[in-house]
Amino acid sequence: MGIIEFAKSPWGQDVPIHIFFYLIYVAVIAGLTFFIGHVIWLRYFAKKEEFADSTPPGEVAKLPAEIKRHSLPARLFHWVQAGAMLTLLFSAFLPKVGVRFEWLQWHWIAGVVLTVSIVFHIIHASFFMNFWSIWPDKIDIEDAGRRWKRSQGEKAPAPRRFGKYPMENKMYHLAIVLAGLSVTLTGFFMLFRIRTPLFTRNSYMFGDMTNGLMYTLHGLAGVGLIALIMIHVYFALRPEKLKISRSMVYGTIKREHYAEHHDPKRWVAEAE
Amino acid sequence: MAVIRDVMPAFELFQPATIDDALNLLDKHGSEAWVMAGGLDSFDWLKDRIKRPSVVVDLSQIKELTGVKEWNGGIEIGAMTTLTDVVRNPIVKEKFSILATGAESAASPQIRNQGTIGGNVSQDTRCWYYRSGWKCYRAGGNTCFADTPTAINREHAIMGASRCVAVNPSDSAPALIALDAKMVIRNKSGERVVDAENYFIGPALDIRRMTVLLPGDLLVAIRIPSTWAGAKFYFEKVRDRPVWDFPLVNIAAAMKVNGDNIESIRMAVNGVAAHPVRLTAVEASLVGKPRNAASADAAGQLAIQGAEPLRHNGYKVPLLRNLVKRAIRGVEEAKWA
Amino acid sequence: MTDTKVTRRNAIKGVIAAGAVSSAGYLFRTNTVMGQSSAPGSVERLITLEVNGTTRRVDVMKQETLAMTLRYKLGLTGTKLGCDRAECGACTVLIDDVPHYSCSVLTHTARGKKIQTVEGLASADGKLHPVQQGVVEEQGFQCAFCMSGFLMATVGFLKTNPNPTRQEMAHGVSGNLCRCQDYDKILTALMRGAELSRSA
Ligand SMILES: Cc1cc2nc3c(=O)[nH]c(=O)nc-3n(C[C@H](O)[C@H](O)[C@H](O)COP(=O)(O)OP(=O)(O)OC[C@H]3O[C@@H](n4cnc5c(N)ncnc54)[C@H](O)[C@@H]3O)c2cc1C
Ligand code: FES
Ligand code: FES
Repeated sequence: MGIIEFAKSPWGQDVPIHIFFYLIYVAVIAGLTFFIGHVIWLRYFAKKEEFADSTPPGEVAKLPAEIKRHSLPARLFHWVQAGAMLTLLFSAFLPKVGVRFEWLQWHWIAGVVLTVSIVFHIIHASFFMNFWSIWPDKIDIEDAGRRWKRSQGEKAPAPRRFGKYPMENKMYHLAIVLAGLSVTLTGFFMLFRIRTPLFTRNSYMFGDMTNGLMYTLHGLAGVGLIALIMIHVYFALRPEKLKISRSMVYGTIKREHYAEHHDPKRWVAEAE
Repeated sequence: MAVIRDVMPAFELFQPATIDDALNLLDKHGSEAWVMAGGLDSFDWLKDRIKRPSVVVDLSQIKELTGVKEWNGGIEIGAMTTLTDVVRNPIVKEKFSILATGAESAASPQIRNQGTIGGNVSQDTRCWYYRSGWKCYRAGGNTCFADTPTAINREHAIMGASRCVAVNPSDSAPALIALDAKMVIRNKSGERVVDAENYFIGPALDIRRMTVLLPGDLLVAIRIPSTWAGAKFYFEKVRDRPVWDFPLVNIAAAMKVNGDNIESIRMAVNGVAAHPVRLTAVEASLVGKPRNAASADAAGQLAIQGAEPLRHNGYKVPLLRNLVKRAIRGVEEAKWA
Repeated sequence: MTDTKVTRRNAIKGVIAAGAVSSAGYLFRTNTVMGQSSAPGSVERLITLEVNGTTRRVDVMKQETLAMTLRYKLGLTGTKLGCDRAECGACTVLIDDVPHYSCSVLTHTARGKKIQTVEGLASADGKLHPVQQGVVEEQGFQCAFCMSGFLMATVGFLKTNPNPTRQEMAHGVSGNLCRCQDYDKILTALMRGAELSRSA
């Protein structure tokens, strides 16, 4: 056992070739452990959420009943990406656990869809959305510290309300960005190693070592994504989170939820 | 050239006397177990220390696995029947001579005396990068060493490659596909019957295996239905020397003619892809056509559609085309182009 | 110096331990001999072979090939090893009258079968087998490394086709290579052998 499988290259070098695939099971178990841990934490240890500030009820009544959270292009992107991601995960890992099918075509086509959708998202988010709204800022980090202290029973001021995205969302996005970029960038170069209508095949762009490291990173990020996606689905389906999850379908959240959790000053409205 | 390296590394040997005992052993030892029939493919792997199973299950003592018997107007050949016994069998000779010709063209007399039909269809590829122990795709790595700019790939695939460009080397396989044979596979949980055509798989489906067999599976018999008994047969194997050498390309065709017209035809080739290829498009294009030079030419052309030769195996493309022509018109009529 | 002593002492301990383990393994194996149950199909190392008409008891490893047993356990070195990969025919022997490459048969598979090597061709009184006689008369081989394989292949082939044409004979022994490339003379000798066999 180990993380990375090595082989001898034709030049007698030890090169990594890919991850050990039992890591698939490790990732699934990690995901499940997270669910259980989280449920236990919620049930026995979590304190009720408290915020330092609030919007006066009068102000809340003035808000529209539904607050726009995700624009249509953003929602479309999310679901295209979700479809591609699930296709990628299943086509990558089902064969490894014994389900036989012609996985490679599904995998590379879904990979291309994912890559294109990510490129779209980067452009869309950089120029048409409030780019910074998804990245943790100073207040988020301070508040995370406050929450931690309060959960330990120490004295600390109550955290402030979130901007557009709660801290967990931001952290999750960060993890997905890292894992997603790792798989898509390595996947993009791996596309040259197989026959597709896209490019002339050229499997010799990199040496054995570079290739091996690429496969390893692709694999590590890939199994990482198994756990991440499991956690994502878990949160999306949790009863208290459904209020947010629905906005990925309908685009909006309820004003009451908005007013309680989000600071209108930190949630910069964006153009459609 | 092979290196003589003292005896093979140790393994535990089982010689069960019944299929059930063999299946229990295979079930118990899972992927640790190596099935050995005649051993003529197996020994290379073991002697070269490329595959190191801890358990070998030798089928040689299982009487129920040998012999040819009649089945539904056709025949059922036990998986452990030697190629020589297949070749010499009177029913095979009389009704399904294409299988006798195919099996007889394999390897050498001594190998046919011991190599089994089950082993012949289940044998691994001869790609020498893979067989020398390079950690290629087929061995679980991420490179096909036969598909690099400096690779020696004269004997590799011209179609159907997905990352790996190795070919299936079996001489009996195309004959069995032409005869629409059925492969009877058994494991601990039961029996399944697979068309010969689907018994062989390519790298797109599973890059580590050549057949649908999984650990625990045993090929117990090959059934040949009466459908093509006594049809017009054509088998030809092209190879570098007339013994021992594996096919560069081989072809097997079974044809029924009505007067001058081709009524129905089945055709399969090997040595061009990781699995023997049934030429379904060619077959479809020939039904109802006169058996003449024009049909043969068109069929040959159709057969090589989409062929993608590698650096050193471009010759296989015209070879395949001409073998298809010959299969339809016979040797004399085929024009070399 | 002390280092070497320690190493040597450890090495000796290791040997003793290994001995204990392997003899324990031996005891364990004998269980089956004493009639206790063992996995169906498991094999014993001590087996009986019938070679050239005599019965030989021999201790054979599971992974041992017949060529190895014949040459190095039974001293029958007339059987040659050329390639050890079923690619040359030098190791050809008859198993139940059928030519096999002995480099590519597990000895355990040949249990209970009649094995014949080149040493078993001549009769007890020293009279050569007709095929051997043919080779002598026609001076069939040059270095003759391949000869015992050719002889066995021919003897086996003649049992299925006692009256072959030269072409058929060539096909019959096509599983044997001659590094001296003297096939024409070899064939002439083998055809002479076939002729002598028929009149014998
Ligand atoms: C020098 C040489 C030249 C050759 N030339 C040719 C040639 O020109 N054409 C050709 O077609 N072949 C050729 N062969 C291959 C030879 O024909 C096959 O190796 C032989 O037929 C395989 O049969 P076997 O019983 O010896 O196989 P084995 O080595 O016993 O088995 C081969 C493989 O099949 C599996 N297997 C065997 N039987 C079963 C079963 N019943 N159920 C499940 N799995 C099974 C084994 O696990 C193994 O992986 C050549 C072989 C050699 C050594
Ligand atoms: S040594 Fe057995 S065939 Fe060469
Ligand atoms: S005579 Fe020398 S190898 Fe045949």
